[in-house]
Amino acid sequence: MLEDTMINIVHIVVPILIVVVSIYAIYLKDLIAAAIAVSAMSLLLSLEFYILQAPDVAIAEVGLGAFLTTAILIIAIRATKKEEEA
Amino acid sequence: MSRRNLVAAIFFAIVAIFLVFGALMMHPFGEFDEEHYPEMDQYIIDNTQNETGADNGVTGVVFDYRGFDTLGEATVLFTAVAGVILLFRRLKK
Amino acid sequence: MSGMSRIVKTITNVAFPFVMIYGLYIIARGHLIPGGGFQGGVVVASSLAMVLVAYGSIWIVGKVKEKNLSVLESLGAICFIGLGFIGVILILFYSSFEGSFLKNFLIGQDTIPIFNEIGKGISNINTAGIIPLMNFSVGMIVIAGLFVILLVMAYATRIKEGK
Repeated sequence: MLEDTMINIVHIVVPILIVVVSIYAIYLKDLIAAAIAVSAMSLLLSLEFYILQAPDVAIAEVGLGAFLTTAILIIAIRATKKEEEA
Repeated sequence: MSRRNLVAAIFFAIVAIFLVFGALMMHPFGEFDEEHYPEMDQYIIDNTQNETGADNGVTGVVFDYRGFDTLGEATVLFTAVAGVILLFRRLKK
Repeated sequence: MSGMSRIVKTITNVAFPFVMIYGLYIIARGHLIPGGGFQGGVVVASSLAMVLVAYGSIWIVGKVKEKNLSVLESLGAICFIGLGFIGVILILFYSSFEGSFLKNFLIGQDTIPIFNEIGKGISNINTAGIIPLMNFSVGMIVIAGLFVILLVMAYATRIKEGK
């Protein structure tokens, strides 16, 4: 019973956190900080997949979304300017 | 409001209506639904471990029952990598 | 792009073996636990990308050429298709063998007894016929493909980052 209540609370909290982190990713001016926010969003999304009992998708999401996309973004940011033009 | 914004607003409203109705018609998570229960699911759940020998049913389905799907996925990845290497190749001066 | 600071390099040196071994574990036990070739390959490619971002592409290109990675990727694809075609080719030698493309020829048949011995039992690392081999080939494709994408992109942008 307690376990069900906990899982229901996590089901509500994690999507709200995903939305909050996504809004951070849009509004941050420093591009590396925005890339880290996108990475955190993917990490939370993979946590949600894991709670929904899809561990395969969770592993793929962590690897692709939270790591490789961030690596590509950091490579692109280091090759260009660091700040967004207002 | 310009015409472009009007079109965008109408399109947004249509998509929002479809999304809301889709979310309302979704059956609850984790509950057994008698009428939307395909027979193929039951066959796969019953027979995957015996027919493929794989303990993990998802891998058994992905690599045995749907091997062509995995082959196409590998082909897509291969083609994408070939395109990226072609795009970023070192030009000889 | 050149390397990052000494802190990043030290953390990478500590974390790289663990991430890589975990990815290879996911590939090797893909038919027993959640995971498989694609997921494990993505994790291994993540560990390699960590080294790439920390040490810089010029140092990596000195160690690994992208031609070798292309060979690895093509080898994975050839292994996958070859495993698919063995199920067809075995019909030519054993007329009673029920073969087809991507047939799991190591289990569930009585024509070739020695193959049946290999893929027997459940919850065993040596089970599931050709599924572990296909996992390995898909893992090779994914590791080499994703890492070579990152490597080529990083090496192409090294001049802009500069000096």
